[in-house]
Amino acid sequence: MRNTSDQKQRSPRRSGRNGVRVAAVAAAAAVTLAACSSGSTPTSTSPKQPTGSATSASITWSASPIAQVGIRAALIKAFEAAYPKIHVTLISAPTNTDTNRAQLVTQISGGSTSPDVFMGDVIWPAEFGAHGLAVPLSNYLPSSYWSKFAPGLVSGASYNGKVYGSPLFEDQGFLYYRKDLLAKAHLPVPKTWEQLKSESETLQKDGLVKYGFVWEGNSYEGLTCDFMEYLTSAGGKVVNSSYTKAEIDSPAALRALTFMRSLITSGVSPSAVTTFEEPQAMSVFDAGQAAFLRNWDYAWSNSQTPSDSKVVGKVGVAPLPTFAGQSYPGYSNIGGWNLYINPHSTHLAADLTFVKWMSSTTAQMILGKTYSEIPTVESVRKALAADPSAAPPIHVAAQTRLVPRPAGTPNYPKVSSAIYTNVNAALSGSTSPSAALAAAQSGINTALSGGL
Amino acid sequence: MSASVTLERPPGAPAAIVGRPDAHRRGLARLGWGFTLPALIFVGLVTIFPIVFSIVMSLSNVGLSASGFALNGFTLHNYDELIHAGVWRYALGFTVGYTVITVMVELILGTAIALVLQRLTRGRGLMMALLLLPWSMITVISAELWGYIYEGTYGVLQAISGAIGLGRPVFLGTANGAIVSMMVADIWKTTPFVAIIVLAGLVMLPEDVYEAAEVDGASGWSTFWRITFPLLRPTLALAVLFRILQAFGLFDLPFVLTGGGPGTATTSLAVLGYKVMFEDLEFGPGAAVATSTALLVLIGCMAFLRVFRAQAGSEEAA
Repeated sequence: MRNTSDQKQRSPRRSGRNGVRVAAVAAAAAVTLAACSSGSTPTSTSPKQPTGSATSASITWSASPIAQVGIRAALIKAFEAAYPKIHVTLISAPTNTDTNRAQLVTQISGGSTSPDVFMGDVIWPAEFGAHGLAVPLSNYLPSSYWSKFAPGLVSGASYNGKVYGSPLFEDQGFLYYRKDLLAKAHLPVPKTWEQLKSESETLQKDGLVKYGFVWEGNSYEGLTCDFMEYLTSAGGKVVNSSYTKAEIDSPAALRALTFMRSLITSGVSPSAVTTFEEPQAMSVFDAGQAAFLRNWDYAWSNSQTPSDSKVVGKVGVAPLPTFAGQSYPGYSNIGGWNLYINPHSTHLAADLTFVKWMSSTTAQMILGKTYSEIPTVESVRKALAADPSAAPPIHVAAQTRLVPRPAGTPNYPKVSSAIYTNVNAALSGSTSPSAALAAAQSGINTALSGGL
Repeated sequence: MSASVTLERPPGAPAAIVGRPDAHRRGLARLGWGFTLPALIFVGLVTIFPIVFSIVMSLSNVGLSASGFALNGFTLHNYDELIHAGVWRYALGFTVGYTVITVMVELILGTAIALVLQRLTRGRGLMMALLLLPWSMITVISAELWGYIYEGTYGVLQAISGAIGLGRPVFLGTANGAIVSMMVADIWKTTPFVAIIVLAGLVMLPEDVYEAAEVDGASGWSTFWRITFPLLRPTLALAVLFRILQAFGLFDLPFVLTGGGPGTATTSLAVLGYKVMFEDLEFGPGAAVATSTALLVLIGCMAFLRVFRAQAGSEEAA
């Protein structure tokens, strides 16, 4: 119905104008506020404890799900059985490592006393250490404590001479392959990347499988991990040892990136691999649609869980291949998680008790034996490697060669994003591998000098 | 004419309050302020303080430590860094282009839908309820649903495209594909909003002008361009402004669908601000991204209003 009143005709325009002003201000506020968030709920009021011995307290532990099978609850239960007076409440953190980190940084820099202890990525020590967002554990725990961990882990958890994270479990890249398909086609487990590609093509041509190889190619941290493996196996590196200059624009890097792109153009990897993170890659492999998978340790248990997987009993595990002409095996990127303590925690003694217990043989055996995570304590690792009933990745881990990500600088997040955004652009074909490496080189140099 | 009562004006518009003494009115005004002041203070605290803090932060050397931020003196360095950063310039271009295209398409489609709705005699209520479904859905949820549609190995759209012989493209895997896919999801969601605003404008148009046009034998097309469109312009302007403000803050769609990729192809200003602030922990430059974005959209809106008013004025004069 149309209205005939003159008086009301003007009203839309006028209220429109005012409405617009209000909306403009509101939107400006919204844009500015979009970035702000906080969440701080102190959970306990017990007084500050002297550091050293175990006491009674109620603490919170923030941790993202580990392979979705109840590991965190099992660890807490065993800890509370050993220390009945310390109660641990689990705060389930986001699975995306960057979201998890953003949340913790906001919370801790905002002064929150919760979580008391948090499980954090192995690439966080420099950033958290530089900004004082984690307690320097080496101030409280003696060197005898640190010497029990497998080599390399403690130095990876250190920044400027102090240790910030206590290694909880380790992870690394593995090559998962379909034993049944390779047997059917009389093919060996590939030792070079080139071999993996040609075997994939054979299997696809014979109609045995839809895709050859699936991995993590999305524009995110995981792509930096995958790229590091190709790059290091080809003989390249990201930065110089003093973290002052990028060295990624090299012939070795070009070989690595050109090969990764060729996996897609040849159809060995689906084009959608440039949007894959771990779960997508795993689900394609577990659905029986790919012959090879690059993934972490936890992919083993998923592939052997009948409710999630059609390939139970058909999967083999091997170290990652290398490039032709380089020595086998190729490099695996180091992942895994450490335990950190919130500097605002009011239960430091209980926190330390919890952190220390997590590196005990009991806890490490729960992780390694029951849930097939790679333990960080050397003695437990050796015991499991000698145990034939331990999961295959734990045996394979003894043969792999490891490479860390260039996380020795507080600017690592920007270094990594310069890697994964440019590598992803080259993989999706929107830029050439050489142009992508040049862009990554300049991006990393800017990041190292503290720029945007 | 219409079965719906909600869109009709209530019978008897409220008459202006006349003949009251000034003192009484001032008293009322004071009382009004008294009642609204607590709310105003609260709004001030939760909106003005963060805005001011964000501006101050963008003009400071910000140090981050366990005890929070420390503002270490005035600097223009944060803005200088933005202007010289390729990622910021790209994000600005992408956000502006995205805003212009989606708002234009939404305006055209929304107006068309509103014209249809206005002519519907039966089922208008049902149609509007259906139309509002996408609009009422939380963007993160609808983005996840679009994620299933666009997915690169088992996605619905890929399956359809394969079945009709168009191949199996990975919609979010290329820069252009991801941008267009995102625009489609945005247009799907916000066109109904434009349609509702335009419909509200349409039902308020005076009927006598249309009767006159009919008597003069004007065609439907020229009736639309010469009567409906000019009379509707204030409403359209309102819809456009609301949409510009919203589209410029584009965050949830790229955050869920692409994380700003492939490469940095769908990194909007808001996504960039989030990354700089919370992933890189660069709070100064991050605040500069947020502040400059708010400033740019305000300038954009004011420019739009000025042009719109000038045009409206020149037409009235003609």
